[in-house]
Amino acid sequence: MKKAFVLAAGLLLAVSVQAQTEIVVWHAYRGGEKTAFEKVVNQYNASQKKIKVSPLAVPYDAFADKITAAVPRGKGPDVFIYAQDRLGGWVTAGNTIEPIDFYLDKNLTGRFIPSTMQAMTYRKTTYGLPLNYKVMTMIYNKALVKTPPKTTAELVTVAKANTNAASGRFGLVYWYSNWYYHAPLFNAFGGGVFDAAGKPVVNSAANVKSVDVMMKWAEKDKILPAEPSTALITSLFNEGKAAIVFSGPWFLEEVSPKIQWGLAVLPTVTEAGGKPMKPWMTVEGVYIAAPSKKKDQAFEFAKYLTDTAATKILALEGSQTPANRNVYNDPQVAANSTLKAFRAQVDHAVPMPNVPEMTLMWSPVTTAMNAIVQKASSPKAALDKAQKDIVEGIVKLKK
Amino acid sequence: MSAQAQMEEIRRLSGEQRAVPPPEPERPLSKRVALAMLLAALLAVSLLHSVLAKRFATQTDARAERAAMIAARAAADVASALGGEGDALRAAMAAWQKEHPNVEAVRVANIENRSLEASSFAEDLKEGEMPRQMQRPEKPLYDLGQELRADVETNVSEGKKREDEVAVSRERGAILIAAPVEKDGSVVGFVQVKGRPEIVAVEAPSFWFALAFAIAPFVVVFALSFVMKRELVLVVIACALLVMTLFAYRQWAMRTLEGGARAAEQRFTERVAREAGIAARIAPGTEAKAGTWDADIRRVPLKVDPARAVEGEKSAVANASYGIGLLALLLLLFVGTPAASRTASNLSEHRQAYLFILPAMLGMLLLVFFPFVYGIAVSFTSQTIYNVNKPYSEIWIGFQNYAEILGDFDLRTPAGINFENFYWTFFFTIAWTVTNVTIGVTVGLLLALILNTKDLRFKALYRVLLVLPWAMPNYITSLIWKGMFHQQFGVINQVIQLFGGGPIAWFERPFTSFCAVIATNGWLSFPFMMVVSLGALQSIPADLYEAARVDGATRWQQFRSITLPSLKPALVPAVILSVVWTFNMFNIIYLVSAGEPAHSTEILTTQAYKIAFEQYRYGYAAAYSTVIFAILLIYGVFQNRMSRATEAIAA
Repeated sequence: MKKAFVLAAGLLLAVSVQAQTEIVVWHAYRGGEKTAFEKVVNQYNASQKKIKVSPLAVPYDAFADKITAAVPRGKGPDVFIYAQDRLGGWVTAGNTIEPIDFYLDKNLTGRFIPSTMQAMTYRKTTYGLPLNYKVMTMIYNKALVKTPPKTTAELVTVAKANTNAASGRFGLVYWYSNWYYHAPLFNAFGGGVFDAAGKPVVNSAANVKSVDVMMKWAEKDKILPAEPSTALITSLFNEGKAAIVFSGPWFLEEVSPKIQWGLAVLPTVTEAGGKPMKPWMTVEGVYIAAPSKKKDQAFEFAKYLTDTAATKILALEGSQTPANRNVYNDPQVAANSTLKAFRAQVDHAVPMPNVPEMTLMWSPVTTAMNAIVQKASSPKAALDKAQKDIVEGIVKLKK
Repeated sequence: MSAQAQMEEIRRLSGEQRAVPPPEPERPLSKRVALAMLLAALLAVSLLHSVLAKRFATQTDARAERAAMIAARAAADVASALGGEGDALRAAMAAWQKEHPNVEAVRVANIENRSLEASSFAEDLKEGEMPRQMQRPEKPLYDLGQELRADVETNVSEGKKREDEVAVSRERGAILIAAPVEKDGSVVGFVQVKGRPEIVAVEAPSFWFALAFAIAPFVVVFALSFVMKRELVLVVIACALLVMTLFAYRQWAMRTLEGGARAAEQRFTERVAREAGIAARIAPGTEAKAGTWDADIRRVPLKVDPARAVEGEKSAVANASYGIGLLALLLLLFVGTPAASRTASNLSEHRQAYLFILPAMLGMLLLVFFPFVYGIAVSFTSQTIYNVNKPYSEIWIGFQNYAEILGDFDLRTPAGINFENFYWTFFFTIAWTVTNVTIGVTVGLLLALILNTKDLRFKALYRVLLVLPWAMPNYITSLIWKGMFHQQFGVINQVIQLFGGGPIAWFERPFTSFCAVIATNGWLSFPFMMVVSLGALQSIPADLYEAARVDGATRWQQFRSITLPSLKPALVPAVILSVVWTFNMFNIIYLVSAGEPAHSTEILTTQAYKIAFEQYRYGYAAAYSTVIFAILLIYGVFQNRMSRATEAIAA
C-alpha cells in the first residue's frame, strides 16, 4: 500500500515536472559572475512554475565555435549569452539567432541604454536583448595621480611627470599597438573601420591623425613603454610603476590589492578639437536560438534577466555593468563608484561593429599597427595596406 | 612429441595444404566471362540510371519552382502596384487566385503595419478576417518579411546580387514562394503563394529500357562463349562491349535531357505571356514588368539558351559515366579473370589476421582517414565563415585554391619582399628547420660527448639540469623567452646594455626576429638530441677505442672513425623525426614572434592557422594544409629511402 502511494506520488511529480518547459541557457561566466547569474536563475525558477531555466557554463574559448557548430543543427541551447561582435556572422550563416523585433515594444526597448540596443541590431533587425556592456576607461594610481587629467594635453603633462624610462616608470601604459585599445583615439577623430554603408575605411584621414597622436606620445613625449602587452601592463601597474592605464573591467580583476586605484572618464582629445575619447563597447546580448522550439518562453526569461531586479544582482554581486539604464537609479548601485564610472564612460562609447566583416579586420590592422609602432612603415602607408587587405579579404570571402 | 610440437606440426601441414593452388573451378572460364559481363553491365547501367533519375528529379523540382516563381513574382508586382495594402489589394489578390487553378492560397503580409493584408490561407482566416494585426504564432511571417527587406537592402548597398531576394520553401509537397512587395523603392512586405508543383516538360527515364541496355551485351558474350575458347579474346570483347553500352546509354540520356530543356523553355515563355495577360487585367500597367518575372532566386532575370541550359547536367552525367565505367571495367576484369577467386581464398586463409587488424583499421578510419579526406574535400571548395552551411556542390571550385597558392609568384612589393607569399613562407620554414636541426644536433652531440667523459663528477645532476628544457611544457618556455626578448624590460637587452650595447628591438626586423625564435627553439630541442646521442655513445664498446689507441689513432681519428659511424644508426632517425617536428613547430613561432614583423617569420603551419582562424577562409586553409602534407609526404618518401640506405650500411 505504502509502495503504491510512493509510486503515485512519484508519477504525480513526474507529470507536474513535465508540464514545466525547460529552457537551456549557455553562458561563459566564471567565478562571481557565474554565482550571481545562477542566483538570478534560481530566483526566476522559484518565482513561477511554468518555465524551468537550466544554466550551463561553457568555457569562453570554445563558446563561439560551439554555437556556430551546434545551434544550426538544432543541438544547442534555447538561449545563449555572448558579445555582439559575432552577431553579423551568425546571422549570415543562418539558423542561429532568432530575430526578436516581433516581441519588442517601446516599453521594453526603453529600459536599455540606447547604444547597447544599437549593438544588438544588424541590418535594421534586432537579434537580442542587451545584458551587460564592457567598455574601457581611465584607470589611475591614486598615489601618483591626484586629479585625473581631463584633456590629452593635461594627460601628457601628468604622464611626463611620472615617466622615468631608466627606472622603468611610465606615465601612460596601455596596449597602444592594439587596434581595440586604439579605438578611443580614432573614434574621437571621427574615424572607424566601416562607414555607414558597411564599406571598410581603415585608411581614412581621421584614423591616420589618431595614429599620429599615439605616435607622438610614444616617440616625442616618450610616455609609453615599448612593446606593450597585457602581462607587461599588469605588472607595471601592480608594481606602482604605471600612473595611468587605459583598460576595462577585466583589468581591475588583475590589480593588486596594494594599489589604490581610481576610475575616470577618458580625456578629451586636444588634437581633435576637444572631442572625447570614445572606446569601443562590447555588449553581451541574450539571444534566442533560431531552432529552439520554446522561443516564447525563452523570450520571457530574457525579459526577466534584463529587468532591473535581476541586473541589480548581476551588478552588485557579479560586478557586471548592466545595459539596463534603470538599475543605475537604485541607491545601492548608485553608491558603487566603479559602476558609476563605467556608466559615465558609456555615454562616450561606440558599440563595436557587429558586421561579419569585422572578423576580417583584426589581422590586417594588427599587422599595420605593429608596422607603425616598429617604424617599419608610415601610418598612412600601413593603414593603406590594411585597407587593401581588408577589401581583398572581403572579396575573397564573399565570392 | 609434446602437445605444442604436435600443434606446430598440424599447423604446418594444414598451411602446406592451403598453399596448394585451389582446384580449377568447374565452370568453364568462358562462361565466367559471360557472368562477369552481366554483372558489370548491370552495375554500370543501374548506377548511371540512378544518377540520371536523380538529375531528372532535380530538374523537375527546379522547373516546378521556376514556374511557381513566375506566378509569385507577377502577384508581388500586382501587390506593389496597389501599394501593398488596402481593399483594392484584397480584391485583386482574390481575382488573381481565381485565374490560377494550381494555386491553393495567397497571402500578403505588410511588415510596416505588422499586418496581414490579404490571405486565403485557411490557418490565417481561422484567426480572424483580413486585414488584421499579426498574432504571436505568425512571428515567422514577420521575420520572413524582415529578412527579405534586409537582403534586398544589402544587395542594393553592395551593388551586387549576393543575397536571395525570394524565399522558397516546401510544405507537404506544395511549393511556397515569398516575393517582396516594394513601395517607393523599399520593401514593405511580401506576397506568399502556395501552389501544387507543376510538371513542366520532363520525361522520366524508364528502368526497363535501361535494363534492356544491360542485358544486350550479356546475350552477345554468352553466345560468343560457346564459339570462342580463348578467354583473353573474350575478355577484351566484353570490355569493348561494356564501354560501347555505357556510351550509347549516356548519349541517349543526354539527348533526353536536352529535349526536355527545349520543351521547358518554350513553356516558360508561354507562361510569362499568360501571367502578363492576367496582370494587365487586374492591375493595368503591371504587365510592363513581365520581362523580369522569369528570374532566379536573387531576382536576376534568366536568359536561358536551351542548348546550354542542361550543360551542367550533361557534364555531371558525363563525369559520373567515367567513374562508373571505370568501376564496371574493374568489376568485369576482377570477376572475369581468376583474380576474384584468388582474393576470396586469400581472405579466408588469413581470416584471423584480417580480424586482428580490424579494430585498428576502424579506429584509423574514424580518427585519421575521415578527417583527412574531409580536409581534402574542403580544400576543393571556397568554404568560408559565410557559407559553412552550404552544400559542397554549390561552393566547389576544383583546383582553384591550389592554383592560387602555388601559382602566386608575386614575391616583390614596392615595400620589399611580399612576406605573405607561399614561397617566402616555404623558404622561411626550410631555413627555420635546417637551422634548428643543425643547432640541435651540434649542441646536443657536444653536450653528450662532455657528459660521456669518464669519472665526471655530479654527472647525474648535469643530466637532469640539461633535460629540464625538454621536460617543461614548451608554451611556457616560449612565453618566458618572449619576455626575455622584450625591448625595455627583457633580460637579454639588459645584458647587452651591461656590455655597452644599445637595446635591440628583436621583433622589428626579420633577421633579429628569426634569431629570437631560433634561440628559443634551440633551447628546446638540444636535450632530445643529447639524450639520443648519450644513449648511443654509451653503447659503443670501450675496446674499440682501446684497440684504436693501441694502433696509435689520435682523438680526432677515433671520433671520426669510431664515434660518428656508431652514432649514425641512432642519430639518423632522430634527425628525421626532429625535422618533421620542427617543420610543424607551431607553438614557438605563434607565441614568440607571432610572425612579426609583417608575417615575415611565419612558418607554413602558423600561416595555415591564420588563414583559417583569422581570415576565416576554410577552403583555402584546407588547401594550404594539404600542400604542407604533400611537402612532408615527399620528404617522407625521401627519408624512407635514406634510412633504408643507412640500414644497408649498418648491415
